[in-house]
Amino acid sequence: MDTTFALSADFGTNPSVSASPVVSISDDAELARAARHGNRAAFGRLYDRYSRMVHGILLARVPRSEVDDLVQDVFVLALRQLSALRDDGAFGGWLAMIARNRAYDYHRRSREWIELPENLPAADRRTPEALAVMEAIRKLPESYREPLILRLVEGMTGEEIAARTGMTAASVRVNLHRGMKQLRQKLDCEGRS
Amino acid sequence: MRNDYLWDGSGEPDPEVQRLERLLSEFRSYRPAPELPAANRYPSARLRWTAIAATVVVAAAGAWLATRTPPEGWQVARAGSGSGRLAVGETLETGAGGHATVKIGDIGVVEVEPNSRLRLIRARRNEHRMALEVGLIHARIWAPPRSFVVDTPSAVAVDLGCSYTLAVATDGAGLVKVTTGWVSFERDGRESFIPAGAACQTRPNLGPGTPYRQEASPAFRQALQDFDFARGGDPALTAVLSEATRQDAFTLWHLLMRGEPGQKERVYDTLAGLVPPPAGVTRAGVLRGDRKMLDDWWDQLGLGDTTWWRHLEGKWPESGAGR
Repeated sequence: MDTTFALSADFGTNPSVSASPVVSISDDAELARAARHGNRAAFGRLYDRYSRMVHGILLARVPRSEVDDLVQDVFVLALRQLSALRDDGAFGGWLAMIARNRAYDYHRRSREWIELPENLPAADRRTPEALAVMEAIRKLPESYREPLILRLVEGMTGEEIAARTGMTAASVRVNLHRGMKQLRQKLDCEGRS
Repeated sequence: MRNDYLWDGSGEPDPEVQRLERLLSEFRSYRPAPELPAANRYPSARLRWTAIAATVVVAAAGAWLATRTPPEGWQVARAGSGSGRLAVGETLETGAGGHATVKIGDIGVVEVEPNSRLRLIRARRNEHRMALEVGLIHARIWAPPRSFVVDTPSAVAVDLGCSYTLAVATDGAGLVKVTTGWVSFERDGRESFIPAGAACQTRPNLGPGTPYRQEASPAFRQALQDFDFARGGDPALTAVLSEATRQDAFTLWHLLMRGEPGQKERVYDTLAGLVPPPAGVTRAGVLRGDRKMLDDWWDQLGLGDTTWWRHLEGKWPESGAGR
């Protein structure tokens, strides 16, 4: 049959790493359940727990100037769609997916807009060095970009990244280490040139 | 594991990682939670009675209005003929040269190409479903996974959060090409998970084939089609395996659950050569369809983690469904 179609993710020794306790998935499930029944305080707790994750996921994908607004969008959308979540214990992975989808949607909607260069001198108060490192991370494959930003920007531990995003710890570990290796190579190259 | 500074800040500090942490902490955000509708409060007795009375009035008005409001549906804009509403149960046909844009509630948009026919099956806030009987659509969905489902004559396309193109031929065969995110093609417990940049065909009575990279070599795609739909058997599988590259690993991963006895072993060996199985994943375990081992191996493919879609749907491609 020839069918042709016309088709054209006690840490006390290091203050920059998250000091929050390891995530309790059962607590999250309770909070998600309460939020679904209209408990806004519960949803606020979920925001406190997950806003760094959502921020990091978006920072890995959309222009920095848009990230904060999109974080808010993601939580509002999540609240509206909470009744669709079948397994409250999967809240983190579900929210991460919404954030990734929101980033895709951002690019779809803004296709016709010309993006401003990210390194305009007056556009950003960050140091040139920090901007250069961020740009290097953003050029890495997506699977490395997200865990690196969650670790290096948001200060989450590997274990926390896995628990919050619903990824396996093994997968996060591999992506963190491979991503860091590639980032070192990129920064070395740029440092030499 | 301790003593891994990059993992959790424990052990001997890595000066380069510490430098990056300091630099990049500038990008953190400290914005408070968004404004959300106020939580329920306990009103005074007078206010409660007022509220109850108002509720009765609103309910009565609602019941009256329910007989007057149009059934649930989608907004449709057709090129050259304005916009209208497609109700549940109704069919939309574009005809030659026709084109329509369908707004899927507030979760996405579907562009319908000429000579297409689709029927609206369900339009609820968190669940939208249509049947594409023939033709071509481009779907862009920004809702959580599994909010939008398209029935085709030979498989069901389930949106896992993405944009994709779906075509259905007059004989009921189908093809999905994924641009961003994921689509699942399902039928009778048989599922194919199709990531961005991949495609998957489906045939009447056979269901979804094995997903493949849109940029895979023509020889690879032809051999896979022969294996999936033309009883190509061992020769077709041999061609698939000899043409496979590291990027085709997700295709081979699906084949681990589809080949006949003897074929799965060959698929295992080739896949292990391209992406070595992680610790704890054994040949015997994979060949007997051990779900955890298969998941762990998938996580090595660099296409994202299996966990999120497992939690969301709890389904699994049937093991041993040979052709």
